[in-house]
This record gives sequence, structure tokens and C-alpha cells, in this order.
Amino acid sequence: MLELRHVYKSFADRGRAMPVLDDVDVQIPDGQFVCLVGPSGSGKSTLLRIMMGLTPPTSGTVLYQGQAVTGVNLRAAMVFQSFALLPWLTVQANVELGLRARELPDDAAKRRAAYYLDKVGLDGFEEAYPSELSGGMKQRAGLARALAVEPDLLFMDEPFAGLDALTSANLREEVLTLWADHALPVHTVVMVTHIIEEAVLMADRVLVLAQHPGRIAADVPITLERPRNKRDQGFDGLVDSIFEKIV
Amino acid sequence: MAEARATSRWWPIALIACVLALATLAEGPKALSVARGVVRQPGFAELPAAAGWSLLRMTASYVLSLAFAWIVGYQAATNPRAARVILPLLDVGQSVPVLGFFPAAIFLFVTLLGGGRWGIEMASIFLLFTSQSWNLAFGVYEGLSTIPLETRAAAESLGVRGLLLWRSLLLPACIPTLIYNSILSWANGWYFLIASEIIVAGPVEYPLPGLGSMMSRAFAAGNLRLATGAIVALMVIVLVMEFALWRPLRAWSQRFRYDSQSPEAREEARFSLPDLGLPALIRPLRGLARAVWRRLPTRRANEWLTRGGAGARSLGRALRWPALAAAVLIAILGVVAVVRALRPPWPPEAASVPLALLFSFLRINAAYVLALLWTIPVTLWASDHPRGARALSLVAQVGASLPATAFFPVLVALLVDRFGGMEMISVALALTGMQWYLLFNLLAGAQRVPNDLRESLRSLGLTRGAIHRRLTLPACMPSLVTGSIVAWGGTWNALILSEYVAYRGKVYEVLGVGALLNRATFKTGNRTLLFLSLAALVITVVAFNRLVWDRLFRHVSARYRLEG
Repeated sequence: MLELRHVYKSFADRGRAMPVLDDVDVQIPDGQFVCLVGPSGSGKSTLLRIMMGLTPPTSGTVLYQGQAVTGVNLRAAMVFQSFALLPWLTVQANVELGLRARELPDDAAKRRAAYYLDKVGLDGFEEAYPSELSGGMKQRAGLARALAVEPDLLFMDEPFAGLDALTSANLREEVLTLWADHALPVHTVVMVTHIIEEAVLMADRVLVLAQHPGRIAADVPITLERPRNKRDQGFDGLVDSIFEKIV
Repeated sequence: MAEARATSRWWPIALIACVLALATLAEGPKALSVARGVVRQPGFAELPAAAGWSLLRMTASYVLSLAFAWIVGYQAATNPRAARVILPLLDVGQSVPVLGFFPAAIFLFVTLLGGGRWGIEMASIFLLFTSQSWNLAFGVYEGLSTIPLETRAAAESLGVRGLLLWRSLLLPACIPTLIYNSILSWANGWYFLIASEIIVAGPVEYPLPGLGSMMSRAFAAGNLRLATGAIVALMVIVLVMEFALWRPLRAWSQRFRYDSQSPEAREEARFSLPDLGLPALIRPLRGLARAVWRRLPTRRANEWLTRGGAGARSLGRALRWPALAAAVLIAILGVVAVVRALRPPWPPEAASVPLALLFSFLRINAAYVLALLWTIPVTLWASDHPRGARALSLVAQVGASLPATAFFPVLVALLVDRFGGMEMISVALALTGMQWYLLFNLLAGAQRVPNDLRESLRSLGLTRGAIHRRLTLPACMPSLVTGSIVAWGGTWNALILSEYVAYRGKVYEVLGVGALLNRATFKTGNRTLLFLSLAALVITVVAFNRLVWDRLFRHVSARYRLEG
């Protein structure tokens, strides 16, 4: 269980404190797929970074399995909108990076990287540099990098926003397949998106953030049966009701 | 480098002035501790040894500069409060010519350390360091602060810390700017070698064996053959390094750019020479580096780093008040020193400082205008002739890597006592240092104009001249200003070489700050004059940078940026 208690966050802007998040209380049980939606400037990405432990909250606490998160949560991993691969490392070396940080022996790291590159469909591209890959393949590499550390929690910050429509639809399906795959350790996913359809298509639960300052405006459970389709009954109704909550 | 100037605080100038004044007041050594016979009147037989010594000194100072640059640049990039202090200080340091550090060098290494051969060597290395380190620090700062936020967060989210973070992210991110600035630093060091190998304390001279001291002594004695020999040796070293080291490194460093995939970057790579023997050179090194890395006790080193960092932080906290008190004390001492330095009687030359400053200013601008007059038309021509552009950019790269001192013998032999004599020589020497940077930057700017844009204007029926006026020239503006800042500021530093030449036992000089600095250092040893002319020079350069170049740069880069 990931738990946020009374989380506030403000940034200093020319000497004045600008509130970004205002008293956010969230509980995310294990195994849930949660989407954060909201207008730009509602602090979605900041909230995700606080969950990951990349940014400390100004006040309030983050608990993971009952333990306070201070600093980067090594039981979690993150996927970024800009892919954030290191351009000077091969795909393989990029995926191995987190394993090196965890001091895995060389051959074990190599094997594990190969396994996850295969999982995301990038086998054969181990020696390629990120600049030689298409956007979709870069994001696959980013996904493999996050999965390779075998996290319990996966955070994704608008992972499909930089991709074309077809690629993002494909990758969305694959992320859902990976999430449902019991062979993988990751079961809890928190994803930031600004596309409501995407959230309804993927999540068990959609958290709607309101802006200025960011706070949880609505907590919408999505109970549609999986696999889902945009033409499913009730899909449009859910999208519309979430849309109204944002506006 | 220009982008790095984020703040406009004036107080560092006062601080530097105080420190310089302190240093100028420090007494020189009373007695000679070095036998003057160490270096005889140089001859051709000493040439290889001299070259070796100079290369060693340059390498030592470069390694020191790298360490300094990393520490200072890292601080500036990771700590905004430190950046507010460090960046202006680097800026000021960059504009103090090497002669300005003479008193400090002599105080530190001759007075305090006794001034044996090692003391003098260290003084010389310190002087070279002052011409190499500042822009390297800017390079590290720039490299680190251009790491995209998400990339940084990604490394952190993977738990990458300490040495692994340094090796996988921080160092690679700095490689392109670090290599570019290393080339500049070496060029700068070679340029000022001539002034850094003869340490002068009042009436006492300590020449070290080296190409720089050989050149200046051969000049002074009128031995043009030996001077030319030393310069040829210098040029050979510079060219060998350019082709065997910098060019391959520059090509290799393209891998470490975030935009390495952009067509421009590829275009740029195409415009440089093929990387001679690069893979063969680097592969064993890479294997070695990997092997060494594996054997490093990474975990223990990380623990030390964390503990050391925490220790330094708590030490900093504990020492905050004592440090503040010390700073106040130094500031008070500095003010006292400034007052004492400015206490009458002033030397008679002091009255000529304002006029000298004006003349130097005019001379530099004359050289600048001359440089623009030929580089702009050449750039425009090259923009229509890709092949010509390619050849020219090679010429400019090689030209910029040659120290302007290489042109001394020709210019002096040709112009002394003729055609306006020293005035002409002085402007011409300033020009030789200035023009290549301008040409280099202008060509790079012209190459960055997208072909689509050019073709669209051609298809609209614009003439070649109109395209130059409407597209190429405006598109070159940002790189013109960037080049101008480097060239113009650098030329002020070079005044000490271009306004005062000792040739055939006679001193040729013009009225200028550079000449005054030389006089104060080499002839009269008057520290009041040294302080006055140094302060005038530094304040002029920094003020002009802030008031003119910075604004121009901001204006130009906002107005003339080529989007996507």
C-alpha cells in the first residue's frame, strides 16, 4: 500500500511560495492501476515525483508498506515522457544502469536486461544507441529499464504523450499485458495522463486533480470489464463525467 | 559561455580589486635565492629541452585547471546560491590579464616558498593556470546545467548515485563543452606562455627553460633566427596536438550531445576532418578504463564520498560564522590595501592611465572593425559555396589554434620603424588574435541556416544579395555576438603582448594599458601603477561585457533565433 498523508508542496518563485499541491490524501492498495488526470498546472507530475521520492513534500508524509519514504524509493521505478535515456549508452547499457546501481554482478545484469528487452519487444536492438531508435522503441527501452529493476511499483509520467497515435495505442496494450502478467513483479501502477480516454481505458481508478493549487477533486473507480474498448457500453459516460469534474 | 552569465552583481569586482591590491602590496623577495646563471643565453641546442619543459608545464597547469573547473563548475551548477558568487568571479578572473597575477604568484611561490627552482616552476604553472582555468569551469557549469531535468530524475529514480552517477551521467554530459573549452584553454595557455615563463619580481628576473622564455629572450636580444626556431617548434606542437588529439576528441565528443541526431550535428561532423586513427587510439584506452573501473572499490568510495560530503556540510555549518568573520576581516584588509595602494605619491605615469585606457580601447575596436570587414564578406561568400566554407572552416580552426605570438617575428621585422611602426604592429597583433574566432563563429552560424529556408527565398525570386541581407546575416547574428565576446575580451588580455615588445635590445611600446602593465611589471616595479592600470582594465572589460555585450547577446538571441 502506498499512502500519502496531508501532502503539501510549494515552490519558491522569486521569493514567494507558490502552492502546487494542497493537502493531498491518497491510499493506493497493492495491485491497483491508478491514473492521475487533471489540467496542466494541477501538479500531477509533482505528485508522481513525491510518490517516487524524487522530490520531498513541503509537509506531510509518504508511506510505502507502512514505512516512511525519505529519498528515492528503490522498490519503485519510473517511466518518463521524454524517455530520458542516456544518449551515450547503448540500449542494453541503459537498461543495465539501475542494476549496476544495485550492484548486480555483470552477467546477472546482462541476463536480466536481455530478458526485459525481450519482454518489451526490443530483442536484437541491444547494441543500438537511443538516437537510432524510433520514439516508440525509445519508450520501450525506457519501460524495459524501469521493469529491469523488478519494482513493486511503477510510475509513468505521460509515457505515451510523445508518440504518434498508432504507436501509443500499441504500447498502451502492451503495458496492460505486462501489468497483467503474473510472471512480472510489478502489480501497482500509477500513471499521469492528460487524455481521459486513456485513463478510462487503462485504470482501475482515476484520481482527478483540480488546479491552483492542486488537490484531489474526485476519485472515480472504473469497473468496466477488461479488455476494454472505446465502444464499450458506459465508456463515453465515464469519460464525460470525468471531463465535467475537471472543468 | 555568454549564456552562463545569469546575474549582474557588481560587488565581485570590488572583491577582486581588494584581493589584487592585497597581493600587489605583498613584498617581493629581498634576496635572490636562484642563481641567475641557471639559464644561459639560449641557443638552438636548448630547443628540444625547452619544448619539453613548456609542454610539461602546460600539462600540469591543464590538469590543475580541470580539477578546479570540475569542483567550481559542479558547485555552481548544483547550488544556486554558490552560483551567484562563482559565476561573476569566474567572469572577472577571465578578464584579468596574466600580468595581473604576477604579484600574487610572486608572493605565494617566491616570498612564501622561498623561490627555489620549484617555487619558480610553481609560479609559472600558476600563471598558466590563470589563463586556462576560467573557461573550463564555465564549460563544466554549462555541461551540467544543460542536463534535461527528466534525464537527471531518471538516473535518480534508478538509484544511481555517487561515482556511478558521475560516470554515467555527469561526466558524459560535460564532455562536449569540456573538450571545446579545453581547446580554447590550451590555445590561451600557448598564447600567454611567453609571459608566464619569466617571473619578474622588481629588479629580479627568474627565467625558466621553456619555449616562451626562449622566444622573448631571443626577441629582446634581436636573435630573430632563434625566435623563429622557437615559434616553429611551438607551431609544430600545436598542430600535432590539433590533429592527433583535439580533432579526434572533438569528433568523438559528438556522441555525448543530446542533439547528436540532428542534421546540423551531422553536417558539422562532415565539415571537420576525418578522425585520423581515432578508433584505434581510443579502443585500448576504453578497455583499460573499463578494467580499472571494475577494480575500483566503488561501494567503499561511495561511502567515503557520502561521509565526506556530509562531513564537509557539517563543517561548513560549524564554520559559517568564523568564515563570515574572516571574510569581513579580509574585506577590511582589502579596503586598507586599496587605500594604501592609492596613497600618494603616485608615479608620474598614473596620470596617463585614462588616456592609455582610451587608446587601448580605440586600438581594440580598430582591430575588431578590421576583422569584421574581412570576415563578414568571406562568410557570405562561403554561404553560397559549401566547398569553400569547408576549406575556410579548416583554416579558421587551425588559425585559431595558433597562438598570435607566431606572427611576432614577421610583423616586427616588417613593420618596426616603418608604416606607423609600433602603432601598426599593435593593431595587427590584436587582429591576429581576434579574426579567427570571429571567422570560426560566423561560419558556424552560416552553416546553421536551414537549406529549406534558403531555397524558399530563392524560389520567391530573391537575389543572392537580398538573401544575404534578409537571411544569412540575421541568422549569423547570435554566433557573431558569441564570437565577438570571446574575441573582444580575449584581446584586452592580449594587450600586454601587443602593446609592448622588446626587440633587439630596444623596447617598442605605444600609449596603452597593456604597455603600462608591462612597464609596472618589468621596468619600474611600481605596484601603485600596476594596481591602477589593472583595475582600470578589469573594470572596463567587465563593465563593457555587462552593459553592451550581455544586452546585445540577449537581444540578438531573442530576435534572430532560428526555430526548428
